[in-house]
Amino acid sequence: MSSKQAILQALSTTALSDNAMPVINIPARLDDLLSQFETSLNTVTATLHRDGGLTGLQAEIDKLSSEGKQIISLVDGVTGNREVPADPHELHDIDYAIIKGHVGVAENGCIWVNNESVGHRVTPFICENLLIVLAAEDVCANMHIAVQKVEIASGQFGTFISGPSKTADIEQSLVVGAHGACSLNVYLV
Amino acid sequence: MLTEECHMNPYLESFGIEVIDTDLGERIIQLAGQPPSHIVVPAIHLKKEEVGDLFHEKIGTEAGASDPTYLTRAARVHLREQFLSADAAMTGVNMAIADKGAVVVCTNEGNADMGANLPKLQLHSMGIDKVVPNIDAAGLLLRMLARNATGQLSTTYSSFYRGPKEDGEMHIIIVDNGRTKMMQDKILAESLKCIRCGGCLNTCPVYRRSGGHSYNYTIPGPIGIAVGAQRDDTNSLAWACTLCCSCSFVCPTKVPLAKIIAHHRRIKAENHQLPYGKEKYMPLVGKLMGNETLFNCSMSIARTSLKYLPNSLLKPFAGAWGKYRELPVAPNSSFETWYKKHRS
Ligand code: SF4
Ligand code: SF4
Repeated sequence: MSSKQAILQALSTTALSDNAMPVINIPARLDDLLSQFETSLNTVTATLHRDGGLTGLQAEIDKLSSEGKQIISLVDGVTGNREVPADPHELHDIDYAIIKGHVGVAENGCIWVNNESVGHRVTPFICENLLIVLAAEDVCANMHIAVQKVEIASGQFGTFISGPSKTADIEQSLVVGAHGACSLNVYLV
Repeated sequence: MLTEECHMNPYLESFGIEVIDTDLGERIIQLAGQPPSHIVVPAIHLKKEEVGDLFHEKIGTEAGASDPTYLTRAARVHLREQFLSADAAMTGVNMAIADKGAVVVCTNEGNADMGANLPKLQLHSMGIDKVVPNIDAAGLLLRMLARNATGQLSTTYSSFYRGPKEDGEMHIIIVDNGRTKMMQDKILAESLKCIRCGGCLNTCPVYRRSGGHSYNYTIPGPIGIAVGAQRDDTNSLAWACTLCCSCSFVCPTKVPLAKIIAHHRRIKAENHQLPYGKEKYMPLVGKLMGNETLFNCSMSIARTSLKYLPNSLLKPFAGAWGKYRELPVAPNSSFETWYKKHRS
């Protein structure tokens, strides 16, 4: 018998009874989603840019570019100074990556991005600094709503990102910037 | 955590495969050659100076440096090289979504995603208890996990993998290792609801005093007793608990930890696995305390002895308990007598 068969067989004779999935009915806080979202982003040490939109973002990128930063953009209408390489390992010296977010979550600052918006899957993690462009109307109240809005088709990858990477593994002191990006800026459009 | 439970690293190393832990805490204890002492913060027992000395020796940080930000950044640089040169990556799994065939991996550091998304081969290992029916269930548990683990709003990265990257390979390894056996027992089965938030460790008075290594099991604390007591051949783990129930109250997934721990004691007793002393004298103590006359007589003897006999004669009866403690001052009467006199 394969180990898979053995597990399935063992599972058919447990002491547990089947329970139907309970209905999740948790009221959402719907007042001023954008302010809630901003507060959450601040809590996770990210910054929200409400005004300026793509023009403001491009101006910022041009400034960074003139300082010699390596910038990759995966958002239409915003241009960096590097192309998406064939091998994801070549992204190792990217200073700034600009990607599109699909869903924002007001209660915890999470932003859903998927493989269609990031080029190589490793982009949002390997860059030093991450910039996400998000439409204001895509911000929802909580995770229960968010998981209904996200789409992960077969073969896909997607992730909720809530702020820059962080750790508190040394004496429980919070350090922002562990293995993933060291900062997160969110541009509303 | 699962790989530690299954001793995966030594096994891989026996084939000449170099295994590098990438979570900062895991990397620290790997370099130190120690087991984890907490399920969320594996190196919680080490001081920053100790980490500084370790990093100085192993990855060449400045001697005497102990600033957490400096050390974390040094580890970031050191591990980047490993991420960029690895041939395969293996992660744990926080939830596996049954109706989508997707796994969810949560980290704050981004190490799982840096690892899984660079090399061609990605592996995810999980216990069968990680399977949830659908994405609604995953959303609910995601809401609970970080809040109860570290008080954060969310883990920084909650990544859903439903297939490999282009030209890549993705394998999910599903492990039983005693879980279906636990499911044969209604009470023990409840421990499989755990999402490994660590909340029960943080509240447990025994864990907080004694630290993770004293449990002598990969998973320490209340949940460690719940899932590890059956493998504990010293038959003492289930007693590293005061049954205060604090863990049961804080657990977000309502694992009845204290009930499970008491159940483990019962199982040990029924299997005659109690240590000699407990097996022999506990039934006698039970008989004594169950019999009113016997109990009252013995208490009255104890009160008289405490009053008149010298400490040196009585101390030995207190055993290990008396080693660092004074014997109590004997009251004049029993509680029952006092109560009758004052309340009736
Ligand atoms: S019941 Fe036991 S394991 Fe749980 S918190 Fe109290 S002492 Fe710790
Ligand atoms: S038993 Fe409950 S409190 Fe303890 S780690 Fe698991 S989910 Fe958290």
